[in-house]
Amino acid sequence: MTEISYQNQPWPVREDVIAAQQRAWDRLGQAGTWLTGAERIAIATETRNAPACKFCQARKAALSPHAVEGSHDHTGQLSGLEVEQIHRIRTDPGRLSRSWYQGLCAGGMVEERYVETVGVIATIVAIDTFTRALGMAPWPLPAAVPGAPSRHRPVAAKRALAWVATLPPEDAVGTPDEDLYAGRSTVGHIYQAMSLVPAEVRGFFDLVTNQYLPPAAMRDFDNEYRAINHAQIELVAGRVSALNQCVY
Amino acid sequence: MTGDAAMGGGGVAHGAELIRFATAVLGDYEAELTAARTAVAHAIGFAALSDTAAVAALFNAIDRVADATGIPLEEEKAAATADFRSAIGIDDFAAASEKGASA
Repeated sequence: MTEISYQNQPWPVREDVIAAQQRAWDRLGQAGTWLTGAERIAIATETRNAPACKFCQARKAALSPHAVEGSHDHTGQLSGLEVEQIHRIRTDPGRLSRSWYQGLCAGGMVEERYVETVGVIATIVAIDTFTRALGMAPWPLPAAVPGAPSRHRPVAAKRALAWVATLPPEDAVGTPDEDLYAGRSTVGHIYQAMSLVPAEVRGFFDLVTNQYLPPAAMRDFDNEYRAINHAQIELVAGRVSALNQCVY
Repeated sequence: MTGDAAMGGGGVAHGAELIRFATAVLGDYEAELTAARTAVAHAIGFAALSDTAAVAALFNAIDRVADATGIPLEEEKAAATADFRSAIGIDDFAAASEKGASA
């Protein structure tokens, strides 16, 4: 097991951040909902490899990603579709499009696997970016744990909100995924984004709660919860999102 | 937020240092990241540096969740931000036409 520890660093890291990152790291290597542990680790590895891909670098620099032809530099562990998904999300997320996603589906991409892969990519990016920001090397990936994916698909998930199917909050009530939105009938779209694979929502938003803020704290401007205040937090969040050209 | 004017800090305490650090975290230059990190630590301390890194890292990830799944902006947010989205250039992002409130 890879132990997440910042003991030898000059910068103190909150215990709740460390604990959340450890939970996320342990979950990476375990069988997920649609992916085996080995597949999840392969995706994590490819996510780390993507920034060095020359094809991705050329596409990123081009006025349009469609203006460049070529093939990805990859680890050889995943299919071409999976590599394209991982590399585009990792290196050029701001220019992803519905037609790009539909092209993956037309090529055989399985929607549930796609969403779980998004969750794995997000987990790696959240933790690797943190360690780099503090001047550290990335943590060694965990070993893959044998086991079968659960193959749980929310019965009420449907394609209405986004490119991928999502579970509407009002339809989660009375289902095994009722806890996903804590009983709320309306939630922000970002909470619903990966709801086709509820385990990815629960896992990633554990990181959100601890690296960013818990939901109740986000608009509690009468209190501060971090060593930086709400305005500073949102300034940093906004700058990062602007650099990523994230409209949402 | 979206251009060189962001480097001024937006009227937020130590905003310039925070913007510089967030920019460097997403950048490719290790020397600049080191300098920006040091500047934040000197300005607001080690605990604040760690929390800033956590926020920057989390949003580098959550942006990808939003962009990879194609979730649209909520209608109420789109309405509330319509005036300044254009002013600060968000409507010029490549995906704006696809991922606005009506997408």
